[in-house]
Amino acid sequence: MLAPSSLVLLLLFLAPLAMLAAYSFGTVDVLGRPQLGFTLDNYEQAVQGYNLAIVARTVWYAAAATAICLVLGYTVAYTAARFAGRFSALLVALVVVPWLVSYVVRIYAWKQLLGDDGIVNSAIGMFGVTPVSWIGTPYAVIGGLVYSYLPLMILPLYASLKDMDPSLIDAGKDLFGTPRKTFWFVTLPSTRTGVIGGCMLVFLPALGDFATAQFLGGAQTTMVGNIVADQFVASGQQTFGAALSMGLVLLLVVTVLLGSLLNRRRRGRLSDVVV
Amino acid sequence: MGTRRAAFDRPRTLWGVTALVLALLYLPLGVVFLYSFNSSSSLVQFDGFSFQWYRAVLDNGQMLDSLRVSVEVAVVTTVVSVVLGTLLSFGVVRGMAALGRPVQASVLLRVVTPETATGVALLLMFTQLGVTLSRVTLVLAHVSLCIAFVAVVITSRLSQLNHEVEEAAMDLGATRLQSVWLVAIPALRPAIVSSALLSFVLSFDNFITSFFTSGIGVPPLPVRIYSMIRYGVSPEVNAIGACMLVITVLVIVLAMLVARLGGRRRTPDFRQEDATIV
Repeated sequence: MLAPSSLVLLLLFLAPLAMLAAYSFGTVDVLGRPQLGFTLDNYEQAVQGYNLAIVARTVWYAAAATAICLVLGYTVAYTAARFAGRFSALLVALVVVPWLVSYVVRIYAWKQLLGDDGIVNSAIGMFGVTPVSWIGTPYAVIGGLVYSYLPLMILPLYASLKDMDPSLIDAGKDLFGTPRKTFWFVTLPSTRTGVIGGCMLVFLPALGDFATAQFLGGAQTTMVGNIVADQFVASGQQTFGAALSMGLVLLLVVTVLLGSLLNRRRRGRLSDVVV
Repeated sequence: MGTRRAAFDRPRTLWGVTALVLALLYLPLGVVFLYSFNSSSSLVQFDGFSFQWYRAVLDNGQMLDSLRVSVEVAVVTTVVSVVLGTLLSFGVVRGMAALGRPVQASVLLRVVTPETATGVALLLMFTQLGVTLSRVTLVLAHVSLCIAFVAVVITSRLSQLNHEVEEAAMDLGATRLQSVWLVAIPALRPAIVSSALLSFVLSFDNFITSFFTSGIGVPPLPVRIYSMIRYGVSPEVNAIGACMLVITVLVIVLAMLVARLGGRRRTPDFRQEDATIV
């Protein structure tokens, strides 16, 4: 039963990635068509000053979005798991619905809200604040990423908070005293699997995102995904795009390894990290 | 320490933040919905109720073509992904561990690999093999994505099912196939339904993968919207966005109803599929 379906994964996931890896060492002919070969030129181009800055910026935006999602997501997941009673699943469902609504529609909504004569500016204008050009700022891009991926943070956090024995918190308070210490030494460590899983589920797609930076950002907020998209859709250099995508895959591998390493002390299986 | 105590002990602060997050999550969707009924083309001022943008969408043949492509692709993707994803889950959970482990690892990797990387990889493969991008390549690309989500949902439910029930069926004379079809599949029905609806929604709303693999024919709706927004915001996008919103929410509500009718577990434990499609 495994054969036909794993063939799909092999042919439509692993094989294309392998081809991408192969062409990342290739060259383009005079017509711009990618050719196999062995050169490190594409990678050299990727780590040149300008491009390296974009890679660094992408990692920074994705990390910042992940951190914000962790703080907001933990709060929502904690509220849902501890204080929402029989409405807890409903609350989580409410968080997930916007994530299932089309990604382009969501970005479009923010573009409309944050536009120069958009609703946000007219709202702050009522308080006498001068309008701000939100579009094109890192805040808009990071905010857009947070909006897009927050539900992916909340799901694993909620699952691990639900798995946790709440009497541990009482025990922690009996032993340590302050709620703050109980949180840091009891609750947070017991939900480590959820924290790691959630961070990966937000960080990884945020790394590859490009429509957010395209519509909410500007020339100063270009991310790796934008450059990759340009190479493949506009008349770009596909092999260079392949090298940059391999950079994304490399970041993925590092993140997954780091995640499972951090998780190892408890269970240490990839499935625990991701799901 | 006083404020900290308030934050962790009294749920009021937590509820405050949660309410704020929910408000922020729904505000943009509410705005899209509201302004889709605006009688002027203003995106700031609401000047009265009108259906003109919906009429504009209905009069726009291209938009309807895209909607049809999106629905067709989502339906085919769902059928193929659910069948193959379910088979995959049986292989992983009931088959040999030596084969199942690497397959499961690739399923999970598929879920977390940025779609930009897998999208351009598929594009590169199709073009290098001389395959013209079309609805077929779009379905293949979507299947490659959705099969992983289906497999995650069904694998987690299947591994909770007691294998001995299937063995008992075989002891009573059922063939292997019958034990799966008559025993395991009915027990998996809620998981299969949720994964089908998840897969439909993921395919219907997918942008990044579709952007790279749809080619020059009629683009699916999200790609069409993308190219419209490139030329600036337009109230027509609000109307089509509101339609997509309604379709997505309808599918989710359907999933909830089916999940309830399909006999929900009473245990309060929580899995990912419940959250994605409760």
